[in-house]
Amino acid sequence: MPIDSKVQEYKKILDLFPNAQEKYQYLIEQAKDNTDFPEALRNDNFKVSGCQSQVWLIPEKKEDKVYFMSDSDALIAKGLVTLIASIYSDETPEDILSSEIDLMEEFELGVILSPARRNGAFNMLKMIKDYASKLTNS
Amino acid sequence: MKKFENIKKDFPIFAREVNTKKLTYLDSGATSQKPQSVIDSMNNVYINTNANVHRGTYVLSAETTQLYEDVRKKCKNFLNAYHSDEIIFTKGATEGFNFLANSIVKKYLHPGDEILLTEIEHHANIIPWQMVAKQYQLEIKYITINDDFSIDMDDLKSKISSKTKIVSITGESNLSGLLPDIKMIRNLVKENSDAIFILDGAQLVPHRKVDVQDLGIDFIVFSGHKLLGPTGIGVVWGRLELLNELDPVSGGGDMIEEVYYDRATWAPVPHKFEAGTPPYVEAIGLGAAIDYLENITMEKVSDHSDHLRKYAQKIFSDLDRVNVIHTNEEFAGCTFSMHVDNIHATDISLMLDTYGVAVRAGHHCVQPFHRKLGIDATFRATAYIYNDENDLDVFKDALVNSIQMLG
Repeated sequence: MPIDSKVQEYKKILDLFPNAQEKYQYLIEQAKDNTDFPEALRNDNFKVSGCQSQVWLIPEKKEDKVYFMSDSDALIAKGLVTLIASIYSDETPEDILSSEIDLMEEFELGVILSPARRNGAFNMLKMIKDYASKLTNS
Repeated sequence: MKKFENIKKDFPIFAREVNTKKLTYLDSGATSQKPQSVIDSMNNVYINTNANVHRGTYVLSAETTQLYEDVRKKCKNFLNAYHSDEIIFTKGATEGFNFLANSIVKKYLHPGDEILLTEIEHHANIIPWQMVAKQYQLEIKYITINDDFSIDMDDLKSKISSKTKIVSITGESNLSGLLPDIKMIRNLVKENSDAIFILDGAQLVPHRKVDVQDLGIDFIVFSGHKLLGPTGIGVVWGRLELLNELDPVSGGGDMIEEVYYDRATWAPVPHKFEAGTPPYVEAIGLGAAIDYLENITMEKVSDHSDHLRKYAQKIFSDLDRVNVIHTNEEFAGCTFSMHVDNIHATDISLMLDTYGVAVRAGHHCVQPFHRKLGIDATFRATAYIYNDENDLDVFKDALVNSIQMLG
């Protein structure tokens, strides 16, 4: 499914929840379902910088597609990175690099996706594009 | 004299809702909300008198200069300083520490000299010293904090010596609410060294009557925005004889007497330390904030803090799974940092926000001490004059629900 369509799917789901608290609860559920991150890879090499909590993102290339594993020590941040990882997984590095979706505009996720939180989500997206860029060159 | 009932009405921000809930603001340790009178005082300058200070030969400039310099007198009375000229305006407490670190060290310290801080200092009272310590080959020592978050007095005694040239400590901890016994520490320092004694008043000055003469300290630093004033304004108070000896660390307009192409002479204290156009509108806002607090009286402000602190201690004592970082000393500020086993502080603060409860999550600029405790982050509730028991109840209920949701 193209990145745009996945964003629209998540947007539809998130819009079902009328307030920040219920949206956070949805993210918490996503976080709790995301259990396959290997403990040994919770290291600084894969850490997203600038997050208030610790967030990890790891790319894996299978044939021409990229897949992301994600984790965080905070639940709501983990829910968010799980969602972002799922949006950009199963895509080619070229599609990831050419995607210009502004998640901050698409998702109404209260303070966690607002420009006011200077670094967190922005750095998750940057890391995904950086990985994609390296995989294109390799 | 103003009463505490209905005090929230003086603060326009409490008319708004957050996430469809009434705002419960418990982050005054980071910054305070502003009463209408402070906002009006600043609007008044822009609407009626605005002109640059100390330069004009016309009515507007004279009026604004008068308003600005009056604040120096208000600060002098507020702190019971010896003289108005001892009040130096900075852009905040952080700039105050950077100024003191650079000017005092350059003037008085030599390689091998020691600076004594505590383990719970705010980064603003650590980093400026680290920066000059590296440059001038000085050693920084940290006084140990006990398990009950009090100061280890034996450790303090063991670390003061003739090599100690500066002691700079918090007057009220922004992490645990600890109110160190300043006079006792000051006496120990003065008996065993000739160190300059600096007090970090950022949290203390908004909550307690501070009498610099009575405390017998050499310098105090605080910021305006934590005591109902605007951002961008802070104060360094220092003894006049010390200020007269120190050199400015920042040069420019307004701080000079005579300027030649190859040299310059400085204006007298305090102006030699205030280079460039000062934040005079913010200073006037600070003056209005001091008026507001003095109208209530600082005695009542501190009584209110003590009352809320005791109430909070009572209702927080039976919180399940919550570890509270708060001093057990008899007197303390209403500042409670907390962490919950297996739940990230950021998750808690995001959940609390959905109940309209504003608290801070992170290391609160006290990262080394968090590291010592072995925790990444805490969330912190701090109360001020506009808070009441109901705010603490709302916080507690929201916290219990948040913990339940986060598992």
